[in-house]
Amino acid sequence: MPQFSILNSAFLAMHIPDGFLSLPVLGVTWIGAIGLIAISLKQVESDYQDRAVPLMGVCAAFIFAAQMINFPIPGGTSGHLLGGTLAGVLLGPWAGSLVVSIVFMVQGFVFQDGGITAMGANIFNMGLIGTFGGYYLFRTVRNLVGQGLRGIVVGTAIASLFSVVTASAIAAIQLAISGTVPLLIGMTAMVGWHVMIGVGEALVTVATVTFIWRSRPDLLYTSSKKMNSELLR
Amino acid sequence: MPHSHSHSFHSHTDHHDSNHSHSHNTIAPTTRIVCTLIMVVAIVATPDAHWLTWLIYGCGIIVLLGMSQVDLFKLYQRLAVESIFVSVSVLGILFRDGEGIVWQWGFLKITLTGLLVFGSVLCKLGLTLVLMNLLTLTIPIPVLLQNLSILRVPPLLIAILGSMYRYLDLLVEEFTVMRRAAIARNLLAGKRWQRLVIGNMIGSLFIRTYDRGNRIHQSMVSRGYQGALPLPKSPKIPWRDRLAFGFTLSFAIFGQLAFYH
Repeated sequence: MPQFSILNSAFLAMHIPDGFLSLPVLGVTWIGAIGLIAISLKQVESDYQDRAVPLMGVCAAFIFAAQMINFPIPGGTSGHLLGGTLAGVLLGPWAGSLVVSIVFMVQGFVFQDGGITAMGANIFNMGLIGTFGGYYLFRTVRNLVGQGLRGIVVGTAIASLFSVVTASAIAAIQLAISGTVPLLIGMTAMVGWHVMIGVGEALVTVATVTFIWRSRPDLLYTSSKKMNSELLR
Repeated sequence: MPHSHSHSFHSHTDHHDSNHSHSHNTIAPTTRIVCTLIMVVAIVATPDAHWLTWLIYGCGIIVLLGMSQVDLFKLYQRLAVESIFVSVSVLGILFRDGEGIVWQWGFLKITLTGLLVFGSVLCKLGLTLVLMNLLTLTIPIPVLLQNLSILRVPPLLIAILGSMYRYLDLLVEEFTVMRRAAIARNLLAGKRWQRLVIGNMIGSLFIRTYDRGNRIHQSMVSRGYQGALPLPKSPKIPWRDRLAFGFTLSFAIFGQLAFYH
């Protein structure tokens, strides 16, 4: 049922519209979002130099395109990729969160998908918690499990599941503080749904990262320490 | 229907070509962006149940709609798609807990508090959506992105936003072609395989995208790109724009004060 899938992905999209959040919540999340964007812009500028504009642009368009396809998620419905952890694993914490923030800015300004005033909260949840947090969770797990494919698979799976669930829990808390949706209902509904979305997200992200690891491992992000040592060799 | 992004995507790309309204064109895009944001913030900042304030704002927006001469059918089409998007989350608010039960059926109940919050969110949502659609219908998107510099958005971010918008259509198209190919080869039939196939598709799209980004960079360098795109200098603000700005600000404040009288 095509219309049904639109409804589902609408509910699962996790873009907070205008009018759902109160002023204090908007203020705090905007400060976090602007800080994240400012620092990641600086980092990306020094990492990529004059490649920043074309490369970040197409990568943001890539995440946008990847979010368009629906796939079955556990529980019999369908969802789509959110791509936060994917961006972090592929591009690193700074470029990854910048790209995800840019996707939110274009979705908010151009497609009215997610509010203008709530854009700070959306970037905070998906960029800061989803991508930035997701990347560091991935790295921690990978360091524990091992540097090979197994470490990547386990790290990606855990990071995508937890980043989606955590971001949804934070969104539920923001809605509760704003007095829009009571905490218990919001938490149960949001986290319940997002555990299932997170499982789908984890499966697809693992498949994507494995594919890139097998065909073009040089494109996966390596932290700057390793990059430098590779250059010195 | 894959996802309603694709919906809105096409309805967004086909309107730029010819017919934006001209009556509005006397006021600079930067002024229009700032005025829209003032109103959006005023609408969102209005405390719950201040119905009169939203009524006044609504009347103002209707007058603005008339003046802008936008294609009302196009506006309706967009609002229809966008309201499907938000309807589910709005309905969640209606059935929340609170004081003063108005209606109950099993565990579903509508309370007075729920109704108040529901109505308030609905007002805020509707008004801001109309305003933002009015903005994007009357300014071509590349111009809108360029003029974000008025909001102190750094030039590098504006350049990346512009570059993303330029390649959006291309990447969406490329992905659609890949999906069509997968469907034609019967790869998306089984549920178990579907996620693996989609994962591989996204992976190969990323490889293509990254290489494309590098090729774009090389062609930019060969055309003399040195790391900064020229941004249009902001011209002096004419009196008409100052007037529009002042009027919007006082209208926003008037709406807020009207509730207390």
